[in-house]
Amino acid sequence: MSVEEARREFVELLGEENVSWEPAVLDCYAWQPTFNDDPDRWVKRPVAVVLPSSTEEVQEVVRICNRHGLRFKSFSTGWGAWNGPTFDNVVQVDLRRMDRIVEIDAKNMYAVIEPYVNGAQLQAEAMKVGLNTHIIGAGPNCSPLASATSGWGVGHDSIYMSYSARNLLGVEWVLPDGEVLRLGTLGSSGEWFNGDGPGPSLRGIMRGSCGALSGLGIFTRCALKLYNWPGPPEMEIDGIMLDAKMEVPENIGYYMCFFPDRKAFSDAMYKLGEAEIAYNALATSFGGYFDILTPRLFRKIEHADSIRSMIVNTFKYTLAILFAANSARELAYQEKVLHAIVREHGGFAMDVTRIKDFFSMLFMSFVRATIPALVFRMGGSFSTALDRNDALDSQAAWREVVREIKEGYIRKGQILDDLADNPYFVPYENNTWCHCEVVYQYDPRDPKHREALEPIFLDVTIAAIERCMEPLFTSDPRVRRLISPLAGNFSKYQQAISRGLDPKQAADNTLYSAEADFDFSGIDPQRVRRLQEVVEQRRW
Amino acid sequence: MAGKKGSKSGLREALAGLVGPDAVSDSREELEVYAGAGEMPALVVRPSEAAQVAELVRLANREKLNLVPVSSGPPHIHGGSWPLKGSVIVDLSGMRRILRTDRRNKVALIEPGVTFGQLQEAVEPLGLRVLKPLMPRANKSVIASALEREPITIPKYHWDMNDPLLCTEVVFGSGEVFRTGSAAGPGTLEQQWAEGHAQKNPLGPAQSDLVRVVQGAQGTMGVVTWATVKLEVKPQARRIYFLRESDLGKLIDFSYRVLRPKQTDEHLILNRWALACMLSEGAEEAARLAEKQAPYTLIYTLSGYEYFPQERVAYLEEDVGRAAQVSGVVPEREIPGVPLQRVWEMLDRPCSGRYWKERVRGGWREIFFITTLDRVPRMMEVMGEVLKRHAWPREEVGVYIQPMQLGRNCHLEYGLFFDPEDADAAAKAEGLCREAAADLADAGAFFSRPYGGWAEVAYSRCPDTVKALRMVKDMLDPGGVMNRGKLCFQEVG
Repeated sequence: MSVEEARREFVELLGEENVSWEPAVLDCYAWQPTFNDDPDRWVKRPVAVVLPSSTEEVQEVVRICNRHGLRFKSFSTGWGAWNGPTFDNVVQVDLRRMDRIVEIDAKNMYAVIEPYVNGAQLQAEAMKVGLNTHIIGAGPNCSPLASATSGWGVGHDSIYMSYSARNLLGVEWVLPDGEVLRLGTLGSSGEWFNGDGPGPSLRGIMRGSCGALSGLGIFTRCALKLYNWPGPPEMEIDGIMLDAKMEVPENIGYYMCFFPDRKAFSDAMYKLGEAEIAYNALATSFGGYFDILTPRLFRKIEHADSIRSMIVNTFKYTLAILFAANSARELAYQEKVLHAIVREHGGFAMDVTRIKDFFSMLFMSFVRATIPALVFRMGGSFSTALDRNDALDSQAAWREVVREIKEGYIRKGQILDDLADNPYFVPYENNTWCHCEVVYQYDPRDPKHREALEPIFLDVTIAAIERCMEPLFTSDPRVRRLISPLAGNFSKYQQAISRGLDPKQAADNTLYSAEADFDFSGIDPQRVRRLQEVVEQRRW
Repeated sequence: MAGKKGSKSGLREALAGLVGPDAVSDSREELEVYAGAGEMPALVVRPSEAAQVAELVRLANREKLNLVPVSSGPPHIHGGSWPLKGSVIVDLSGMRRILRTDRRNKVALIEPGVTFGQLQEAVEPLGLRVLKPLMPRANKSVIASALEREPITIPKYHWDMNDPLLCTEVVFGSGEVFRTGSAAGPGTLEQQWAEGHAQKNPLGPAQSDLVRVVQGAQGTMGVVTWATVKLEVKPQARRIYFLRESDLGKLIDFSYRVLRPKQTDEHLILNRWALACMLSEGAEEAARLAEKQAPYTLIYTLSGYEYFPQERVAYLEEDVGRAAQVSGVVPEREIPGVPLQRVWEMLDRPCSGRYWKERVRGGWREIFFITTLDRVPRMMEVMGEVLKRHAWPREEVGVYIQPMQLGRNCHLEYGLFFDPEDADAAAKAEGLCREAAADLADAGAFFSRPYGGWAEVAYSRCPDTVKALRMVKDMLDPGGVMNRGKLCFQEVG
């Protein structure tokens, strides 16, 4: 391994201005606070940071890593600690110079983008031609390429615009040996309109529910499906975020619906899916809104049981639903169906477009998913109980399970009080299947909170296995080792894919193929026993 | 197999030990059904349950057999299951159990031998409909169709290329049993159901999506023993419309306008010969019917579901009508010479009796691939030139355009029909299709399902894909026991 030689070659390839090994610069990459309970465990300082500007340069960077026994880890818009290195000899490949929307094919409804294009940019350009892009729940600052090829992919708009992984067409993929693999039509004719075949689809080894998080190479361009946008080509807005002011665009409907209980909520959600009327749909608790919009107020009322009780019990089953209709006739029909369904299930629907200031505050945060960024306001950080998605009923049950787990920790002051019930609940593809994760917020400066993170993580993992769910943080080597034998030994296949595509193991693949044991020292033995029991009960 | 290792009778005995003696046959008459245009297999084995399939694959690894999975009944058309000499056919068509239907979650868990007609009969009383290709033959397996990525007729439900396939259980060529999507575990299926799951999420498990490499693989990676398929709600109001046009460009323009906002349900374009052939009992009737048709007919339906179904259809009729006006086409409610009921059957039912392509003249060749709607006119030009070179009457070529993935691309299919007794016509069709495949691929046609000779056309253009696919094949079928000689795996095994 020759780090010095590699650095020299990077400079030759990219120029001095696009390569750095300055400690201060490296530490900027090493400091990844989000989803980083323990900086020592997750993020190491890279040996160099390089900024390629083209596929060819990415290939050459990867080849240099291969030649010098280094590993590489790519970074697009970089949301979460999983973007950082996990070994000591990693070159951080920052893709920020690859920021072009290469093409929007308005007729065939797709865009070809590079890694550093973010959701907001792509959405703004797509809307100009009557289209829209799926934006993940983490927000419009994230790279749609990264979530589609390498990360997860749920968003408020999933009822209409699916999951990031399912929105891929052609893909350009620099493999860990530096060769380029082009998926689908791109590999055959240079066109982007299809990502599968000929024959078996290599999308199957590229990613699954979760992506390889750079453990299988670097994605340099991809075609993403765009969806119909009947709203205005440009939004007229004054102010930003919660201070935004705007008029209600033509043929847009926006409702908050409230249901009396879980059954009514779930039954209504099934009906809404079958009616095929929604453009965006996000179920959460009303407490979840308060918590995000007014975190300071929330911290003041956390011991006021009567207020808590009122909010929890009155507004628990809340659904925000957006209509983006192609005509006034369509909007009228959609609203009529919504009212009928809500009424039938004992709920009530509040027309948000009639409360202009509230509409202004929430509309873009809904269409562009800007509001989740506010989740950091309450305590500075958060984590989430994320399981494998399936039928809505299973997800509705998951919400209750995690709420109960959270309540115990809230009572002990080990996480922040967000009323416990704080789901991000989203149906996909007209409720073909559904997503529910439950957020928990904490203050990373508080040792008591930090100490609770591992026990919560274990409790949630136990609960997920009990309920036949794969915890979606199987990117964690400890969870991978635990869950893989319960799910067809998937880890074995991932390791084989890794060896096949990456003979020199040049990719930083800890989050893709490594396995590790949990460290149970300091964990309540009863909890550990319970984990072992559920693992035995859930083999097939 | 002691004492008889390697002999056919020994093999037969071993297979009979796994599936029972009545489920193994080497009768020439029976084997010919599977041979198609391929070679004669040695045996056919008919497992009745998934565990037997896994045992078969393990036996194949020990004995270096070549297994060719088949799920649909005959005729085996495309060549994906045409065997090499001496192969063992694994006929799954007897595994016909519908293991579970779930109205609330709109899903069915089925075995590979379940046909479209069978599934439809089971789910229609629940108020559900099956997403299916256009006029599949009566004995076509639902799972085989989904594994082959056959296009469905409702583009708005075709979100991604693997639709309507959801979760699967697959026995890889290695003999290992794997489950994909949310069926993967933790938990047995029964435990998952008890927790409210319905095997509806097609992704994963974890960070790979191995169902996608089984799909489109023509049985070269493993054998699917059950799968869940997505169902949709049966409309409570439904109207059909026809756009009869000589200008294909106008129909394409209209398609883009209405597919984008997901306004239509069934949505497809047929030329007059394809339409006539589908709705006729034979060539003469087809010729008479074709004369009455416009060069191209776009068929679409509008639907209303549980809530105010007629109102949904009514507003869509106005909105879609406006799109038609802008595209310069006029929706009609019928087509000449055909009772409407027959068109509904064409859309809703599998073929009854003989397969429609067989009915026309007995023999046929087809060529199909993926392109985009706006590239269709260019493909028509290319195909037109090939037809001219081969002096094949253009008016007797069926054209079927099926938008997919909500209209982002489309399946384009040409059908050539001939008398199978006429050796010259058969040879001519064969040569024409071979030449057309090469020319069309040069023009950008994508042979996503590369059967037979198309494999060479498709894979010669993507050597990097071939390299990666071989790596996958080595991983899942290291002994090379699954359907040798297909796709880009000619030298494997």
